[in-house]
Amino acid sequence: MPNPVDVCIVGMGAVGGIMAKELVSAGLKVVGLERGPLLEFENYAYKDSIRAIARRQLEERVKHEPISIRPARGAKTRLQYTTSPSNSVGGGLMIWTGSATRFTPDDFKVCTNDVQGGIAKRAGADLKGYNIADWPITYDDLEPYYERFEWEMGVSGKSGANPFEGPRRKDYPLPQLRPSTRTKLFGEACSRLSYHAYETPQGILSQAYKPPAPYDQRIPERPGCVYCGQCNNYGCHVHAKTSSPFTVIPVALETGNLDLRTRCKVFRVNTGPGGRAKGVSYFDPDGQVVEQSATMIILAGFLYENIRLLLLSGEGKKGLANSSGLVGRYIMAHGDVRTTGLFDDTIINGFIGPNGGMRMDDFNGNNFDHAGLGFIRGATIGTSGGGTPIERCDVVPPGWPRWGEKYKENLARYYTRCFDIGMHPETLPHKDNFVDLDPVRKDAWGIPLPRVTFSFHQNEHCMWRFLGEKCEGIMRETGASHVWTKPSNRGSRWAGGVRMGEDPKKSVVNGYCQTHDMKNLFVVGSSVFPSMSGYAATPTIGALAYRTAEYIRSSDKLLG
Amino acid sequence: MSDKPSTSEAMIKMHVALIEAAATRIFPTTSTPGASEAGVINYIKRLLDEAFPELVPLYRSGCRALNRHAKRRFGVGFLRIAVTDQDVVLADFEAGRVPDFSQASDFFEVLRTHTMEGVLGEPAYGGNRDMVGWRLVGFPGHQFGYSDSYINQRVDLEPVAVDRPYPNEEEWRAKSR
Repeated sequence: MPNPVDVCIVGMGAVGGIMAKELVSAGLKVVGLERGPLLEFENYAYKDSIRAIARRQLEERVKHEPISIRPARGAKTRLQYTTSPSNSVGGGLMIWTGSATRFTPDDFKVCTNDVQGGIAKRAGADLKGYNIADWPITYDDLEPYYERFEWEMGVSGKSGANPFEGPRRKDYPLPQLRPSTRTKLFGEACSRLSYHAYETPQGILSQAYKPPAPYDQRIPERPGCVYCGQCNNYGCHVHAKTSSPFTVIPVALETGNLDLRTRCKVFRVNTGPGGRAKGVSYFDPDGQVVEQSATMIILAGFLYENIRLLLLSGEGKKGLANSSGLVGRYIMAHGDVRTTGLFDDTIINGFIGPNGGMRMDDFNGNNFDHAGLGFIRGATIGTSGGGTPIERCDVVPPGWPRWGEKYKENLARYYTRCFDIGMHPETLPHKDNFVDLDPVRKDAWGIPLPRVTFSFHQNEHCMWRFLGEKCEGIMRETGASHVWTKPSNRGSRWAGGVRMGEDPKKSVVNGYCQTHDMKNLFVVGSSVFPSMSGYAATPTIGALAYRTAEYIRSSDKLLG
Repeated sequence: MSDKPSTSEAMIKMHVALIEAAATRIFPTTSTPGASEAGVINYIKRLLDEAFPELVPLYRSGCRALNRHAKRRFGVGFLRIAVTDQDVVLADFEAGRVPDFSQASDFFEVLRTHTMEGVLGEPAYGGNRDMVGWRLVGFPGHQFGYSDSYINQRVDLEPVAVDRPYPNEEEWRAKSR
């Protein structure tokens, strides 16, 4: 049995990397357990669309980790491999698009502003089935940690470009990335429609960068983006994309205080006397069971894994840290809606990077009047739609042939002449959306799969209809020759399931991501979000990781 | 090495011509190269051998159903009917209108997906011969990166098939300075 350590982190993705660096730098001994490998260059930097897109589920580190998913209780369950498939050190940061927008102050106060503040009534929204809560922390609480994420990890953007963003003490460390044809078209169309488009802040370096003082200067210098266009689902071949193995992981390892153990699959949090977590049990790469004792445990996996581990641990069916009965409840995901435009006269070259681009927040949160609209909250709307030909060959307008001569002619004509406008609509926490343990299906280690029960409900559908028309309006204004809109009906960017709150009866963790039931057990990541906003989660996840690490470092009692 | 043929070889002997003919209608040769010139059949053979052997039964029953349905509608097997009639048969598969084959639309979607992967995927997997698919759509392959001048213009670079080494890395870096 390995020696006890101060902290054991389960999952070495975005959260695990940042927290490990912060904690080992304070002299704590940390074991980082990661179910996947630390990828070698040739296993993340490949440019291979068959491997990265068409056959990703065959990757060794992905195929043993499906989830089961169903739309509702009693419905048929199917296996899915394509969500959170990175399963490697760095996690989602290895393969993300880089969208790095902060949440707004309003995003933390949905109950106060929308429900109690009367916006729901004014909108005539039907909120039956939803359980809407504020965060126990505010934007101001997170602001300094957003800044650390941006300046240590490297985010390119421009303060003030988005009139709806929250107040910030400092600008972004790097100028915006290069514009592309589609960002220009989108930006100009938005201007003509009196919307406020801005270049999305991105976790991709626009030029060579090394964090200056007072930020962590041990983080290595990285080069700027070369605009190869293969961000989403690919690792970065020049390391311009912000990923933990190029930033915080080497710093943490250098201290000698981080024991990084890859291909180790944690299956239980162990508990001891006095209501404390005492360690974890995991399968090592040879399939042997190992027990690791630690003074403090941090669950830093994707939300399915965090929930699954809590439900697998403890006594009885209820699982660990679950006196509220809310572990696994109120999961959320964006239901992306995509409008595509084909251009007869303009070459877009969507395969040229970066994948991210421009957004506008005029219809996000409470940035617009909801009177009579029938829904609360909103979505950010932005451009996307790059990709290798394999990713674009199914982008065909309704009624157009999907094969044959005419299809071929259209593909040859429009592959370089198209782009998408997509929205990230805020999904509200609903009582029927949850994760539990699959009663039948097990993974390669014999552990029950996380079972996701998820559907979009009335507020989402009503919002999609309204905002789909807005997306189409922008696309028509760009001058596109053919325009159509398609809801995805699939969740993207998942959150919730380990709700953060002040009241132990209504939440699982407090504002420091510490479980109400066990003072030395933390859950950090998008799983703690009470609401999800219309933005991608990564900077908020990073800010929570920095803030929680600081709390742990400053709380002697926790380690006592 | 055993003399026993691999799973797809056993199947392909019977059905290679059918799969190739159907793929050719999905992405036909016109004044420009199609599935046939791209070598889609090589892509699918290797896919069934190396990546998805579990799909062999679907391909096998799909091919038999193609022939049955062609005979039902046009009196002879799929390979002997006119290409316009082949299109009618394939449209029936796409729409799931094949009375004795419940997996008709599944088979069509799989075949369509694999055909397009064989046209547009990396040549290392057996298809997209000489990068004909990429040349057709205007994708210059896996370039190291792009300098500003390529925005909004037809990119006239020779396509790059492999990830590393980047043949034009030096040149690109020089340009980007």
